[in-house]
Amino acid sequence: MAPGTASGAALPLTTDDMCPVCKTIRYLNKDMEFLINPECYHSMCSNCVNRLFNDGPNQCPYAGCNRTLRRKGFRSAFFGDLIVEREVDIRRRVAAVFNQAEDDFETLRDYNNYLQMVEDLTFDLVSGTEGKRHAAEAQLQQWEAEHKADIERNRKAGREADEQARRRLTAEREAARQRRIEAIKEAEDEKLERARSREAELDTLAQAPEGQRVQLKRRGQTSRAGGAAVSAVETAVNTAVATADVGRLSIRGLKEKRKAPMPEGPYDPFGGSDFVPSRYKISEGLAHPQIEKYRFDQQHITGGYSFDGYTARAMFEAFAGLGVFIEDEKEVGIGMSTGQVATIGAGIATVGDRMELD
Amino acid sequence: MAAEDSRYRESSQFRQWSFSPAQLASMRDKANTLARTSIADRLSTSPPNNAGTNPMSAPTSSANTPDPDGGTPSLPEFLTPAEEALLVTFYTSELLRAGDHAEMGDEIKATAATFFRRFYVTNSIMTYPPQQMLIVALFFGCKAEGAFPRITDFAHTFGKEDPQDILAGEFLLCQGIRFCFDVKHPFRALRGAMMELRKLGDIDASRIDSAERRARDILRFSPLVTDAYFHYTPSQTMYAALSHADRGLVERLIQETFHYVAPPTNSGPDTPTASSDTSTLAASRRDTNKGDDGNKAAIIGAYIRDKVLGTIEACRDMLAKEMPERREHWSNKTVIKAQIAPLRKKLNKCHDPDRWDLVKLQKVRREQALKKSDSEDGEPGDRVASSEGDASLFGGDLATAQRDAKRRKVGAKGLDDPFGGAL
Repeated sequence: MAPGTASGAALPLTTDDMCPVCKTIRYLNKDMEFLINPECYHSMCSNCVNRLFNDGPNQCPYAGCNRTLRRKGFRSAFFGDLIVEREVDIRRRVAAVFNQAEDDFETLRDYNNYLQMVEDLTFDLVSGTEGKRHAAEAQLQQWEAEHKADIERNRKAGREADEQARRRLTAEREAARQRRIEAIKEAEDEKLERARSREAELDTLAQAPEGQRVQLKRRGQTSRAGGAAVSAVETAVNTAVATADVGRLSIRGLKEKRKAPMPEGPYDPFGGSDFVPSRYKISEGLAHPQIEKYRFDQQHITGGYSFDGYTARAMFEAFAGLGVFIEDEKEVGIGMSTGQVATIGAGIATVGDRMELD
Repeated sequence: MAAEDSRYRESSQFRQWSFSPAQLASMRDKANTLARTSIADRLSTSPPNNAGTNPMSAPTSSANTPDPDGGTPSLPEFLTPAEEALLVTFYTSELLRAGDHAEMGDEIKATAATFFRRFYVTNSIMTYPPQQMLIVALFFGCKAEGAFPRITDFAHTFGKEDPQDILAGEFLLCQGIRFCFDVKHPFRALRGAMMELRKLGDIDASRIDSAERRARDILRFSPLVTDAYFHYTPSQTMYAALSHADRGLVERLIQETFHYVAPPTNSGPDTPTASSDTSTLAASRRDTNKGDDGNKAAIIGAYIRDKVLGTIEACRDMLAKEMPERREHWSNKTVIKAQIAPLRKKLNKCHDPDRWDLVKLQKVRREQALKKSDSEDGEPGDRVASSEGDASLFGGDLATAQRDAKRRKVGAKGLDDPFGGAL
C-alpha cells in the first residue's frame, strides 16, 4: 500500500535518527525531536523548523514539495507512521463534522447508510485521487455549512455524556472505598466487644457467691442483654468478613420454611370406591328357605361359613347394574369397538396363530 | 353414581362383553365376512389333486364343478349371518340339553352357554365345528365355575373316546372369549330379590315361591339362547324373568327401591327403613347424604325408575321370544329336519377345510411351533415326510399349504400375542 505516492513524496518514519533536512544525527543533538506540519506531513527536526520558519512563512524544504508552511502549524506526531497520522487527522476532522448518533436516525438502515456515506467520504479523503479528494473536501465543507446547528448540538450532547460517565465512575469507586472502610471498622468493633464481654464474664465469675451454678455460654452465643445489637453487628461482619465460626447457629440463605404436608389418611386399599349399598339395606330380616336348611348343616357351620356373606352377595347381585343402560353406554364406544373384536376374532380364525403347547 | 353400578362397571362382562344391538350385529357381520373371504381363499387355492383320492374333500371341491380334476372349483354358498345366528341358537339349546343330561348345575350350564355364544361372536360358525365346541364349552364351563371333572369321565359322559377331541379346542375357546372367564349370572340375584320380597312381609309366601320357581326356569333357558347377556345386566335380566313369572312382584320391588322423591324444602330425605343395619358407615353416610339430594335422585329417583322399568320391559320382550317352552321346539325332530338340517348341509360344504378338524389343527400348530423353535435348517423334505399321514387330508403338501395359508393374511394383522392382540 502506497497511498502516499499520490500526494507527493513518501513519508518516512520520524523515528529515524537523522533529520532529512539538515542531516543532523541524534548523536550530535541528544534531545532532537521531530515535528510535522499537517499541510504536507513532512517531518524535520525542531532546529530546522526554527531556522527556516521563524521569520515568517517559507517553502517546505523537501524537494518537490512547494507548500508554504508556517511556524505555528508544526506539531509533534503522535504516531510513528506518518500515514497513520495523516489518516487520523483526517478522521478527526470528519468526525467533528459528521457527529450524529444512532438515536438521531429513524431506522437502523438509515444509520448504516449514513455511516457508509461517511466512510466513503473518508476513504476518498484519505486515499483518493486528486479529483476525488477535492470533491470530498467540497462535500465536507458543504455539509458543515448546511448542518451547523446540528453539529453544535451533537457536540454538546457528546460532551455531557462524557461528563456523566466520568461522574458515575468516580461515585462507584468512592462507594466501594467507603464499604471497605466500614467493614474494617465493624471488624474492629466486634473484636473489642468480644474482649469486653469476656472480661465481664470473668468479673461475674470472680464476684459470684459460692455455690451458685454458673451457666457457661457456648462459644459464639452472646448474652441476651446485648444480644440484639451485637447480633446485628455480627451479621454485618459475617457478610463482609468471611469467618468460619463453628458455633454459629443461624444459617444464612434458608428458604421459607415449608409447611408440613397434610397428613394423609390411613391407606385405602379400594382406592376410594364405596361399598355401602345405595339401593338396599342389609338387615336381619333377609332370609331364604333354601338357605335356611344349611344353617344346621354341620358341613357348613363347622367351617365357619358366613351366611351374611351369602346374603350380602345375593342382595348386591339383585341390585347391581340396575342403573347401567348398556345400549346408551356402549353406543358411545366405551370399551373395545365393534370392529376390533370381530377383526381380532376373525384374525385368529384366518391366521395360523401359535397355539400354546399344553 | 350408585356404588353397585360402579362395581358392576368394573367387571369384564360389562367392559368387554356388553354391546348395543347394533354393535353386536356388526361384529357378527364382520366375523362372517372375514370367514367368507378366508375360506374362499382356502377353497379356491386348495390344490386340485386331492379330488379323486379323498372322500372328505370331495364335497368341498366338487360341489359345483362337474369336473373334479379340472381347475379351481367354484365357491360354495356361504352361510348368511342370520343363518349363522339360527345355528348358534340351535347349538346353544343342544348344549343345555347336554348339560341337563350330564346333570350339571345351573351356573355351569349357563357359563358354558355364555362361553359358547361369545365364541361364536368373534368367530364364524363356518370356521370351527359347533358340535365339538359345545362339548369343549361344557368342559371349560365346569372348570370356570369350580367343578373340576376328570377329562376321561367327562368324555365318556358324552360318548367321546378320545379326550384329545375335547382338549384340542380348549385354548381356542379361551382365545375366542378373550379370557374373560367370570360370567355374572342372574340366579343369585333372583335369590336376593326373593329375600327382599320376603322381608317386606305383606306378600304371600306361596306366591313368592311359585314366582321363584317359574323365574328360575326361565333364567335357565331364555337368556342363554337369546342375546340377553350381551345387552342387559344380570339384575335387569332377572327382573325381566320375574316379570314374566309375576309382574306385580317386580313392580313392588322397583317401587320400594326407587322411592326417592326430592323434598321441596331442605329437610333430609325420607328413608322408609330405620337404621336397623349394623354398619356405622351407613349412619355416617346418611349424615353426608343430607346434602346429597341431587345424588340420591340420580340413584333412586323417579327418572331412573322409569328408565329401569323401560329397560326391564325391553329385556322381557327379548326373553319372550325364547321361553322355556321352546325347548321342545329346538329338539323337535320335524323342526330340526325342516330348518336345521339344510343349514347343516350347507355348513358341511362351506366350512373351513383347515380348521374343521380341531385335533388335526392342534397337531399342525404344535408342529409349527416346534419347527419355529428349532433352528431354521430343517429341510422341507423332513417336514413333508413327518406329516405324510396328514398330507392327504389337507390335499397335497401340508407344509406348503400351511405356509401359503399363513402368507395369505386377510385383513387382520398377524397375531403373535397368544392373548389375541391389543384391545
